[in-house]
Amino acid sequence: MYHWSFAHADCYVERQSAALVTSAVSRVLRYRIKEKASVGMKVVPAARFVTKAWMTVWIMWLGWYSGGQTECRGEVIVPGLSSKHPLNASQVGWLLRSELQCAACHGKAKTELEQAEGDFGLEKTAPDLSSVGARIAPDYLMRFLQSPSTVHPGTTMPDMLLSRSPEDRTTIATALTHFLVSQSQERFHDDSVSRERIEEGGSLFHSVGCVACHEPKIKLVQEFEGEDEELEEVRKREPSNTEPTRGLSLEHLPGKYSKGSLSEFLYRPLNVRSSGRMPDMKLTPSESDAIASYLVGQSAPDSQARKALTIQPELVERGKKYFEELNCTACHALPGTVPGEKRAAIDHSKLSQGCVSDKPGKGPRFSLDQKQLAAIFASFRTESDPKPTKELLKEHDQIALTLTAFNCIACHVRDSYGGVSKDRDLYFRGTEMNLGDDGRIPPPLTLLGAKLQPAWLQRVLFDGESVRPYITTRMPQYGNTNLQHFTDLVAKTDTLDGVELRTPSPESRSDEEKALERRLRPAAQELLGDKGLNCIACHNFNGKPSPLNKGIDLMTTRERLQPAWFDRFLRNPGGYRPRIIMPYSWPDGVAAYKNILDGDTNLQIEAIWYYLSLGTSAADPSGIRRPETKLSVSDSVRTYRGRSGVAGFRGIAVGYPERINYSFNAETGTLTGIWKGDYIRVDRGGQGSGNFNPASSPVTFAQDTSFIADWDSTAPWPVRPVMTKEAPANPNPLYPKNLGYQFRGYYFGASNNPTFMYSSAEIQIEDRSKVIDEGHRLMLQRTIAFQSSSDQSRWFRAMTGDITESAPNVYTGKNITLTVPKVKVLLREDPSDVDSKELLLKLEIPKGSSQIELTYELQ
Amino acid sequence: MRPSSRNRNERELPFGLGMILMAWFCMIAALGGRIDAEEVGQRWGTELREREYYPIVSIPIPKDLVIEAGAFEVLPDKRVAVATRHGEIYLISGLDESKPNPNYHLFATGLDEIFGLSYRDGVFYVTQSCEVTRVIDSDNDGVADRFETVTDGWGYANYHEYAFGSKMDPAGNLFVTLGLSNSYDSFALFRGFVMHVSPNGTTSAYASGLRSPAGIGPDEHGALFYIESQGPWNCSCSLKAVSQGSFHGHPASFDWYPYAPELGPVPEQPKSGSRTLVERERVKQLVPYAVIFPYIRMGRSITGFTVNRTGGKFGPFENQLFLGDYTQSILMRATTEQINGVWQGACYPFREGLSTGILNVEFTPEGNLLCGGTNRGWPVRGIKPFALERVEWNGKMPFEIERITIEPNGFKIAFTKSVASSFGSKPENYHITNFTHPYHAGYGGPEIQRSTPSIRSVELAQDGMSALILLDTMSRGFVYEFDLGLLRSNDGEELLHKNAYYTVNEIPNR
Repeated sequence: MYHWSFAHADCYVERQSAALVTSAVSRVLRYRIKEKASVGMKVVPAARFVTKAWMTVWIMWLGWYSGGQTECRGEVIVPGLSSKHPLNASQVGWLLRSELQCAACHGKAKTELEQAEGDFGLEKTAPDLSSVGARIAPDYLMRFLQSPSTVHPGTTMPDMLLSRSPEDRTTIATALTHFLVSQSQERFHDDSVSRERIEEGGSLFHSVGCVACHEPKIKLVQEFEGEDEELEEVRKREPSNTEPTRGLSLEHLPGKYSKGSLSEFLYRPLNVRSSGRMPDMKLTPSESDAIASYLVGQSAPDSQARKALTIQPELVERGKKYFEELNCTACHALPGTVPGEKRAAIDHSKLSQGCVSDKPGKGPRFSLDQKQLAAIFASFRTESDPKPTKELLKEHDQIALTLTAFNCIACHVRDSYGGVSKDRDLYFRGTEMNLGDDGRIPPPLTLLGAKLQPAWLQRVLFDGESVRPYITTRMPQYGNTNLQHFTDLVAKTDTLDGVELRTPSPESRSDEEKALERRLRPAAQELLGDKGLNCIACHNFNGKPSPLNKGIDLMTTRERLQPAWFDRFLRNPGGYRPRIIMPYSWPDGVAAYKNILDGDTNLQIEAIWYYLSLGTSAADPSGIRRPETKLSVSDSVRTYRGRSGVAGFRGIAVGYPERINYSFNAETGTLTGIWKGDYIRVDRGGQGSGNFNPASSPVTFAQDTSFIADWDSTAPWPVRPVMTKEAPANPNPLYPKNLGYQFRGYYFGASNNPTFMYSSAEIQIEDRSKVIDEGHRLMLQRTIAFQSSSDQSRWFRAMTGDITESAPNVYTGKNITLTVPKVKVLLREDPSDVDSKELLLKLEIPKGSSQIELTYELQ
Repeated sequence: MRPSSRNRNERELPFGLGMILMAWFCMIAALGGRIDAEEVGQRWGTELREREYYPIVSIPIPKDLVIEAGAFEVLPDKRVAVATRHGEIYLISGLDESKPNPNYHLFATGLDEIFGLSYRDGVFYVTQSCEVTRVIDSDNDGVADRFETVTDGWGYANYHEYAFGSKMDPAGNLFVTLGLSNSYDSFALFRGFVMHVSPNGTTSAYASGLRSPAGIGPDEHGALFYIESQGPWNCSCSLKAVSQGSFHGHPASFDWYPYAPELGPVPEQPKSGSRTLVERERVKQLVPYAVIFPYIRMGRSITGFTVNRTGGKFGPFENQLFLGDYTQSILMRATTEQINGVWQGACYPFREGLSTGILNVEFTPEGNLLCGGTNRGWPVRGIKPFALERVEWNGKMPFEIERITIEPNGFKIAFTKSVASSFGSKPENYHITNFTHPYHAGYGGPEIQRSTPSIRSVELAQDGMSALILLDTMSRGFVYEFDLGLLRSNDGEELLHKNAYYTVNEIPNR
């Protein structure tokens, strides 16, 4: 266990945890990009560089990097402002004022800007302190209150006690801590961290997107084998963010949280911080736990400092007084506290004296650098320059401010701003690396409002929808109350001239529409498939995987995209995504496939758009294969019901771990097939209801009923009614119930081995098989047990086929041998089929319980 | 598969040939299903507004599970049982948490397409395609180990033959709807029937004339209803009221009456091309369709339904029926009333934008509407192969048509919010048209004899919460379509959904 202290006692660096995760993360992050030749598609020049050479990622842990001296400066950090943002100085200042919540105290005269800020939901709020006593270690609170920016460099929390003497600071912070801790029912307690979780947490932390705003704890360095001038040239031409990202340090976390309380915070951050600057990363409780384990690390908290706080009522009382006096309530409303008077509106001419200056007086003090101060100064409207207000209210500025405030631009490009910075690039990973950067970098937001259907954008923003499971970085959730304005904003600013993409109307089609549909449908199917444009080489289709690269499912198109954008994107993919690997299929508007729809570009695009409206009933393009589900048997017996060629509609398949299987037709009470090896394949695609077929070749028997209550042995065995295409109705619908048979279900015994229950008139029958495994001989031993209220006799058809008697009581059919009990046997020609025989047993079933045994052995 | 006594082929089948037969089977299934690729229809365009009142929360499903929900049941311990098309039953806890991360416990597996699930006294009554089964955990280890056949008293021999089961009624009875062998024919015993299963398992035919039914169960008044799909003898999807001996329009099932003496004589053969109103007089067992869901505008293949008894937790629509549509991935509402002994009522749009084709819905213990299904096989708008989603009311009151009921000379429309009298008292703000469907053997059919009845008067209640509309004439056998898009609430809001559709089978005399 290490504590590693630097200039400031609170800047921890966890060497050990960092070292631990190195191996895990390297497993996750090391990658190679393969030659795209195997994809069998045209590679656009802009994308070619990615394929140029093997790319290797070197991973180093650099403890000094993350814990570093530079991080212990006190200035406020707003992550979005270190991304490549488009804001001018006054807008930066305005955003800073919003992030610092200046209006919380100086609220009396809301400026137009502040009004606007509220109007489009950008207002930042401070953490909810109602359960802070359970969430945060009391000693941390105390230290933090005494000097926020030294304990948590970069925090937006001002120093409230700068003007006080050191003794006063301690006294007030102690009282405040007692008061705050007393607010929650539950108390903070430390917990232990397991090492395995640390590894997992480290790789999650560095891959799901945390490092977009926070400092990585492991630095990734990329090196190319050899120089690549072409690549460098391409890189230079592209807009990219080469400024180093200034992320918020998390080195204070081990002192602040327990693993459990941090995990709870990470799982639902919006509960505590509702304004979404720390968004919900769509973590499961288990993932939250892993990341919390990693971040809190196994640096044992100082047992002295972590001593539980004994609440002293008089300190609580004083703390509450301080809380109100210091106007903490302005940002942190707590039940039972009285908010202070609002201060006067900010007079920007006095900025050199107030709470942003070095002479804050008795008020709070914000740690700002000169640039930040200048920006704030510039953000005030002056009589000589009233412009900023108007500018700010323009929609594209509102979008820019929003994207910066929530730091969307750390991951997304929009127009000429935003995008993954160079020093974060390697943390953006994907599972479909052959898709190039589009397989790992979140999509651009340029023309977002013209691209996505508004309802879909809402679902992405607020319901967690995502269609790119192959991108490891997650699209966070910022909370329903934030970003509500965003969909309307981008809808207003982002427009594309509409093209009409026709979709024949569902009902009452005109002949013209019908004809169009008949033309478009097969054409689109051909275009999408591997005999055409081969879109399915890089796109899943209708829930079925692409044979090559599992990119976005094409069937999501109509739900997500607007037609004008779709049309333009197809014509010019690279115009919308500079490095996309999607080929140009209509370069300069000329169709590559001249034989489809006469090479009419408009019609081809329209056909695809129309085809994707057919929803899940659209036939698969060539090259997409319907996945077949193979069921396997593990360590206990498996029973599966479904229709089957070998067992009828009321079929059942039973598979044994010893790799022998049989099928049972429950409608007739008959064992109908036996096979060795794999269990079954089921059809669950399309309308498939789970129909099963043996996964290897079975020996099958007739599926007619096996027991007949009352039968004259000179008559033919009553067989199942025959339905044909010409006469599809069942001519004997009560068969075999009219012969006394009724299925009654089954139950599992040891190892889930099923016993089938059925009856033949008044006889109750239990039918169970078990496996006899003698090494080279694998047999199924079937026990049929009877329970009868009187002495009865029954004919039982044991087997059908080309049967010969090979030994007393032993009968051989094709690939199978059946041993039957010593009872009266009738082996006779099947009256209706000269090539087939049937083996009939006459069973004398006494009153009470009795049973017979049959043994099946496959050759 | 071709059931036959001649098993020579089957038992001597080389494997390759088996595969061919399998492919043939699949092909037959596909052709029989009439899955001509079809479009899913226009949207209501209300999703963006709906979500302000009824957000949808996606329920995470573990990566390796496929949950194509076909039936739900809420257990006494507040877990929710979800039965699937894959024949599994999961017991799920934690569905109602604000950020759900539910626990899935696999209770039973290996069953065959479950579309009915009912729980009583520790036992699940499962309607699977082949039978109704008692599924029991006899050794209390949390996993089912006993599967007792309650009834398999019907034929099952064609792929289209789905079975949907009700919940148990208070007396322990179950009802099962049996789909036809294809859209037109009944080739196996009792296909096209409602079966009644008594507590001891005795099974009898209960009603006939079904086509491709889905859910069955009680409405808000405790009367039995089932859901029927558009197709032959059904120009739109509908809710139909079931009673002993009732006939529901599709005569394919008449051949099986000899096996169901309890139903009495075979009904008169209905005449194709007639009207339900006319045929009712001749075919005395024919029960007119209680609530017609105009095709496309109100779904293309409506499925399971449930009654909102959440005590207000789900907003203003207490005691109403909620149901989903497979193709359009939408939810709708319906209300029913009995006039002159005949059931009828109205349907209303509720929520669009679900992620998959909805097969069934159920209210959770906390009063949220759980929806689930799959999107394979038929055209579906929702893009997910399967999903569980929770629709919840966020406490904001939407401005909606709460319910429409019939009056001797018109309708009473109740609203969820007060209508501004400047709008609500003007007849010209109420657009009412009507139409009827032909009653015919063809697949689906048009809306015909459309007219615009003239409004004699509108009387808006003092509190603005309802309006009485009197018409010059009222016609039995017609669907009345309401477009109230011009109304405004006292707050100046537009209706969240401006349309509603009332099916008039009878007109009260009073």
